[in-house]
Amino acid sequence: MISELAERPGIRVIYQVRRAFKRPQLWFALLWLSPWFAFYATFEWGPILRAFWMAVIDYKLLRPEESEFTGLKHFRMLFNYSLFWTALSQTLTYALTFYLISLPLALLVSALIVGVSRGRNFYQFVVFLPVVVSLVAVSLLFRMLMDSQIGAFNQILRSLGLPTSRFLTHHESALWSVIGVDIWKSLGFWVVILSAAMLNIPPEMYDAAKVDGASAWQRFWRVTLPLLGHTLMLISVLMVMHGLQVYTQVEVMTDGGPGTSTYVLNLLIYREAFENWRLSFATATAFSQFVMILAITVIQLKVLRPAWSY
Amino acid sequence: MCSSRSRRLVQQGIAGMVSQAAAHALLLVVAVSSVMPFFWMFFGSFKSYLELTTSSSLWPKVWTLANYQAIIFRVNFPRAFLNSVLVATPRTVSALVTSAAVGYVFAKYRFWGKDLLFTLLLSTMMVPFAVRLVPLYITVSDLHLVNTLGAVIVTALFSTFGTFLLRQFIEGIPDELFDAARIDGASEWWIYTRLILPLSGSPLAALAVFTFFWSWDDYLWPTIVLTSQGVKTLPLVLAGLRTMYWDRYDMWAAGSMLTVAPVMLLYSLAQRQFIRGIALTGMKA
Repeated sequence: MISELAERPGIRVIYQVRRAFKRPQLWFALLWLSPWFAFYATFEWGPILRAFWMAVIDYKLLRPEESEFTGLKHFRMLFNYSLFWTALSQTLTYALTFYLISLPLALLVSALIVGVSRGRNFYQFVVFLPVVVSLVAVSLLFRMLMDSQIGAFNQILRSLGLPTSRFLTHHESALWSVIGVDIWKSLGFWVVILSAAMLNIPPEMYDAAKVDGASAWQRFWRVTLPLLGHTLMLISVLMVMHGLQVYTQVEVMTDGGPGTSTYVLNLLIYREAFENWRLSFATATAFSQFVMILAITVIQLKVLRPAWSY
Repeated sequence: MCSSRSRRLVQQGIAGMVSQAAAHALLLVVAVSSVMPFFWMFFGSFKSYLELTTSSSLWPKVWTLANYQAIIFRVNFPRAFLNSVLVATPRTVSALVTSAAVGYVFAKYRFWGKDLLFTLLLSTMMVPFAVRLVPLYITVSDLHLVNTLGAVIVTALFSTFGTFLLRQFIEGIPDELFDAARIDGASEWWIYTRLILPLSGSPLAALAVFTFFWSWDDYLWPTIVLTSQGVKTLPLVLAGLRTMYWDRYDMWAAGSMLTVAPVMLLYSLAQRQFIRGIALTGMKA
């Protein structure tokens, strides 16, 4: 009789659930996954969903119930806003320049570090030092060094008889100056990743190449670079994403100026949200930035995917 | 025949030495340029404003502590330093504890919906912070946390990156270890504290270093939620020197030194963890 009862699927599920509740794993998982889920729902997924909603309404900060649906009005306003296009093009310029200079530079320094027989730890320690230090402190420091009159950079240039630059105070040189500081500061980070990957290449590969008569240059191009394929793809994505989302160094060094020559997207979002209090408009801008980053990342992953691995 | 072979070996040896010397020379240039700005900041912080703006020598002619005194007593740097510590420490400890636990659950447990949840977790990494910025501010303000340190701590109790890192690592621990422990009657809590945590020393150390320095340097979010002087963290107060001490580079140098020196000290002590941590994330990804 009892065995007939147990045949019915409903009863079996009940027994299974009762058994599950006796297992300690379930309690442990519930104990940790409940706060985890609550946290993510409140601070990560919830805000993302709310952002969708906020971008298509006219959010009133003090009386959110009265927000009216506006559809794509904010996006249309955004695309007609000249400052948006300025910020967008400057952000893209920033990311591209940062990437095109940082990658070869990091490759060179990594190759050198891996190639020297002694002192590797020392060089890694020193090169990584700027990465560790506070970005705000570095931004202030370079603002001082790049001062047109009394900054150390121009003092050195003058003493060498070279023309001085107005660095951060001139609209033509400001963006490149900020990018330069960023490259300086983050170099050690890329070098550590790249040199770790380079050290992972089995030396037999190089021995085989040497036996075949390859020069050092050829060994670099034909052995090292291809075998670094996945790492190079990772670093490329990271570098470009870093460039596209730059904020702190721009805000501290130039605050978007002179004029709007260093205005970047994140700065626009922040200004619209917390200085102009156009919250919905800022969220729409943030979404546009998201779409751009996503598109660029997907393109990068497709283009840079190594054709083979070992 | 013998002499030409030995000549080739010597040539290779010399070529090797020359290329080593060239490599060292280039690396020294990189090393010096990485460090020189900090020297300037160090010496500049001990100069008076007059000397900083007029003299062109690196070494201070007159060493003065006036800048540091002003920074410490008038700008209330110690308060900002304390705030930064009060924020960075809970964030780091929480990230370690939760990442190990949730990472363990995702690595070793089987349950319905696990893959879905994990994919959901990873996808949050793809969304840039700017999208969440405004709604998060509204949420935090509804929780009455604006302008408190809680706004910065509570929003970072869990670490997506840390969970991912620990999950990858714990997956590599053989299941037999857990089965053996459970057969011996170990509770899940015992497994967590006596197996998972000790075995995960390496990724946990890297995560600790990462999280601590990330939250020490965090600027965008704290700038938005912390507005009064008493709760501002170190980077905020440092950036505030621009308006408080307009163009007073001597003050900026002293403030920057105070911000940078503890970090450099920690870095010298924990350097191996740092570098290993970065290399680890590079490999895992």
